[in-house]
Amino acid sequence: MALLKLAVRNLRRNRRRSTITLAAMIIGTVAMTCLRGFINGQQRVIIDNQVEGRMGAVQVHKRGYIANVLTSPLALDMADTPELRQKLAKIPGVVAVAPRIEFGAMLSTPDKKPQPDDGSLLPPADQGKTSFIMATAIDPQAEALVTPLRNSFIRGGKLFASVDAHDIVLNDDFARGLEVAVHPEGTPLPKVEQQLALLAPDRDGALNGENVVMGAALPSFSPGDRRIGLVPLGTAQRILRMEGRVTEYSLAVSPFDAAPRVRDAAQAALGPDFEVHTWSELMPFIGTLTNTQDFIFSVISGVFLAVVLLGIVNAMLMTVLERVREIGTMLAVGMRRVQIIQLFVMEGLVIGIVGGLLGIALGYLIVTLAGHIGIPLPAPGAAVPSVVKPFITPLYLVSALVGVPVGASLACLWPAWRASRLRPVEALQTA
Amino acid sequence: MKKVIHLLTLLALPALAAEPTVNQLLAKYDSIMGPLSFEAQTQMTATREDGTSRTYVMKMLKKDNDKFRIYFAEPSSVKGQEVLRNGDNLWVYIPNLKRSTRIANRDSFQGGDFNNADVLRVNYQIDYHGTLIPSDSEDTYCVELKAKNPDTAYDSIKLYIRKSDLMPVKGQYFGTSGQMIRSAAFSDYQEFEKGYTRPAKVVMQNEQVKARKTELITKSITLKVDVPVQRFTQSDLGK
Repeated sequence: MALLKLAVRNLRRNRRRSTITLAAMIIGTVAMTCLRGFINGQQRVIIDNQVEGRMGAVQVHKRGYIANVLTSPLALDMADTPELRQKLAKIPGVVAVAPRIEFGAMLSTPDKKPQPDDGSLLPPADQGKTSFIMATAIDPQAEALVTPLRNSFIRGGKLFASVDAHDIVLNDDFARGLEVAVHPEGTPLPKVEQQLALLAPDRDGALNGENVVMGAALPSFSPGDRRIGLVPLGTAQRILRMEGRVTEYSLAVSPFDAAPRVRDAAQAALGPDFEVHTWSELMPFIGTLTNTQDFIFSVISGVFLAVVLLGIVNAMLMTVLERVREIGTMLAVGMRRVQIIQLFVMEGLVIGIVGGLLGIALGYLIVTLAGHIGIPLPAPGAAVPSVVKPFITPLYLVSALVGVPVGASLACLWPAWRASRLRPVEALQTA
Repeated sequence: MKKVIHLLTLLALPALAAEPTVNQLLAKYDSIMGPLSFEAQTQMTATREDGTSRTYVMKMLKKDNDKFRIYFAEPSSVKGQEVLRNGDNLWVYIPNLKRSTRIANRDSFQGGDFNNADVLRVNYQIDYHGTLIPSDSEDTYCVELKAKNPDTAYDSIKLYIRKSDLMPVKGQYFGTSGQMIRSAAFSDYQEFEKGYTRPAKVVMQNEQVKARKTELITKSITLKVDVPVQRFTQSDLGK
């Protein structure tokens, strides 16, 4: 305790140096806390865009679906019964259930001019185009609860209101490429020859189709989603000749981290004919992305920490040089060498505690403030506006509160050891 | 001088008879698999990876090199459907759409393992450059075909042709990155008309998903039918 008092007094003796060391400590800690808070906020945006904009937190399929998703998943379908939906809705943590069918389809646009009567062919520029799309058939009511974010992304029109509607939603870049525009709501439909044709092989492989119009546009919100189209569930079931059947249920869960628990409960409730996955299992790239970010963050914090701690080492070495006579006196009056080490380490610890506390408090304040205001910034690869809301986890707070003082005292070990090695007789002779 | 030419011709003739040129082989293949005009009754059975299969019955009409029309008769889910090729244009007519709509060459033909161009664009002389390469067996020639333009069904094809009668035996079809997408086996050689023999059966094996294959059987075929040009226009579809 006496050592602590001595350490504090020593620090107060050279106020300017102590202040500068402390300032470096605080700035470093604030910067690290803010960076961590921002990365947290950005990762949350990426996850939210995927989970609440597209996937849902937990998905249910027929067993083998995910492994075969590239071939013909339509054969791995299930009857969409009220009992099955009830069973899923009753699982604790599940707040909504949305039925879906994922299928590959062709979208064919009308020719810009009628075919010439003389039997000649239209020039390529006037010909309609055909393009492959990955269609997701959804029930708009159920989907509003499972992927609420998607509805807020929709532009230029509205998401179809019923499962039997004849309008679909296309990615806006993709639609522009195909020269398809949103059909304004409330105006009469164009003649069938001027509508889009949505064609797909049905469950048995036979080609079928429906005439549709584009009802709204959806901007990209993750890399590689340009070919995604939203189709009313009933319309898709007619094309695929799969009335009353779906290939996927998507579940919204609350709280967000209940997903693994819901997955286990759903798997137990449904039995081995089904497979249940959480969003992080379905989108492993998000894990890779956050891991990469976390790695970069730890490298940056390592460099920051090293710079700040080297500053402390430097300041402490100066102190030791200045206090050679004093150290000599202390040793001469019987202070033990280990106590000298303790004294200097204690000085570092005090700076670390004060600097760490102030830095983390200030950083936390800034992050919380930024979290309330929000930083408008689109997620990587996304065209939708999104707001990054930085936040700090309790785990980070605790580890910073422990780590900064420990680091600061460790940085003092070497200067302290040098001080403890002084010979009292020589030390007392220095000017 | 004349003598020399005669001598050369005499020397060259037996060589020609023994080794047909690439162009001769391709011309022969095109005349077998896609005669200039014909009407055919065909049947296609697509087997999928889950073991189920589906059989389509259709009538095919062809005129010139680039006019083709198919009428589906069975099963009931595709009855009334029609496919038309005119030049580089492909249309499908689906009765409940009450209209025709464009489709692409590389799209799957009725969900089977043939694509649209396999069925509707059977003129390799126009679409591909051929070179003779060493074959894997003594009694066949192997022609390697490279696509001339992106409208073709494949980027390259290896075609194996029997030396004895120049009938196709098998084909291997490759995609952009050089991987084998499909392979075909030709069999049941049958003389449909005097002087016209063709394999009545082609089995297309999906090399990406091994459990998938599709066979196309020619039930009957009549050459040199005179179909009015009107049958090959978009406005005639569904009529």
